[in-house]
Amino acid sequence: MHSSDAVREGLLPLLPRLRRLARALAGQVADADDLVQVVLERALARATQWRPDSPLDKWVFAIARNAWRDELRARGRKANLFVPEAAGEKVADHTGTQPARQLELAAALAALSADQREVVALVLVEGLTYDEAAALLEVPVGTVTSRLARARTALQALLGNDA
Amino acid sequence: MNPIDDATLQAYVDGKLDAAARARVDAALAQDPAQARRVQELQALNARLRAAFDPVLDEPVPAHLTAMLQPRTTAAATPTPLAGWRGTHAARHRRPRRWLLSGTALAASAALLAIGLWWHAGSDLVRMQNGEPYAAGVLARALDQSLASKPDAHAPVAIGLSFRAADGHICRTFTVRTPPSRAGLACHAATGWALPVIEPASPAEAGELRQAASDLPPAVQAAVDARLHGDVFDAQQERAARAAGWR
Repeated sequence: MHSSDAVREGLLPLLPRLRRLARALAGQVADADDLVQVVLERALARATQWRPDSPLDKWVFAIARNAWRDELRARGRKANLFVPEAAGEKVADHTGTQPARQLELAAALAALSADQREVVALVLVEGLTYDEAAALLEVPVGTVTSRLARARTALQALLGNDA
Repeated sequence: MNPIDDATLQAYVDGKLDAAARARVDAALAQDPAQARRVQELQALNARLRAAFDPVLDEPVPAHLTAMLQPRTTAAATPTPLAGWRGTHAARHRRPRRWLLSGTALAASAALLAIGLWWHAGSDLVRMQNGEPYAAGVLARALDQSLASKPDAHAPVAIGLSFRAADGHICRTFTVRTPPSRAGLACHAATGWALPVIEPASPAEAGELRQAASDLPPAVQAAVDARLHGDVFDAQQERAARAAGWR
């Protein structure tokens, strides 16, 4: 099978997880699906770089993380990635549960640094092990766990004790 | 009793410890109510994150995303790529639009080719599949997600009427605000949003939030009239249809 066909076929069942990761990174529904589209374009363009003996999910998650970082850089500081209120509204709009708490969580996540937000997305939302996240981010495991600890402290401070 | 270090506690909360290490932490927590309370708070935070994002797994995946992964043998064309994420780097992500090169697409009727060529090269709102035009990019996303009952004056695409056509498919009228303005009718199908009609729209129609059916170009109005039986969706029906993936 041609590598791009194998990647196409393999990515289809990964779309829900890819959308969840994108949502955790980008926040807003529309931004997250734009990110997924960019990720799919890149993945298909680079299909020959995927080694069939390596996990496709980690490969495409790394593309997603890098695409998200590229987008943050492209937007720079002039525009916040999104307005936390709007992000919360979208999250709440989509799940339909406890809008105020969803809004609060979206705003807290938006306040994290990119370093912290990506470990939260990869480990706490997607469920990667520390080792997997470290390999994907190309940093030592200790860096993953210390960023995660700082992210938790920040989230708890923003959310209060009733997390 | 050894005090538990923070790294171990974190791994415990995240379920990353093996059984033996977990048992040691359990024993230590039984002796230390303050530490146990801290663990509970961290577990609650993890649970809250999962509760916020796991429902995404159950959402219908937008058709324009699944369409990108269809085998090239069954789809006559790959969808045209989005003109950049929110248009910020259009050029970098552009891929060649294969349908312009494919024999089957070139053999499509002159009218369909004309529809395809109408669309400005930068807009990427239409893809050809088996010789038929389908919504792509921001148009597909707007059809998937936007609600006429919650209009966004700054969105590139405005949705007008939504209704269930006589053949059972859900159709929606739309106006593309970004030049060159277009108005049309999209009907949901298994492979995405088919576009039975697309017409140039006047700047007034494109630039304003007026969405009454009478504002539509005559050809679009005629296409609506030909399909409509019963009433157009109200806000609640529109929302329910979106939740059901427009099926």
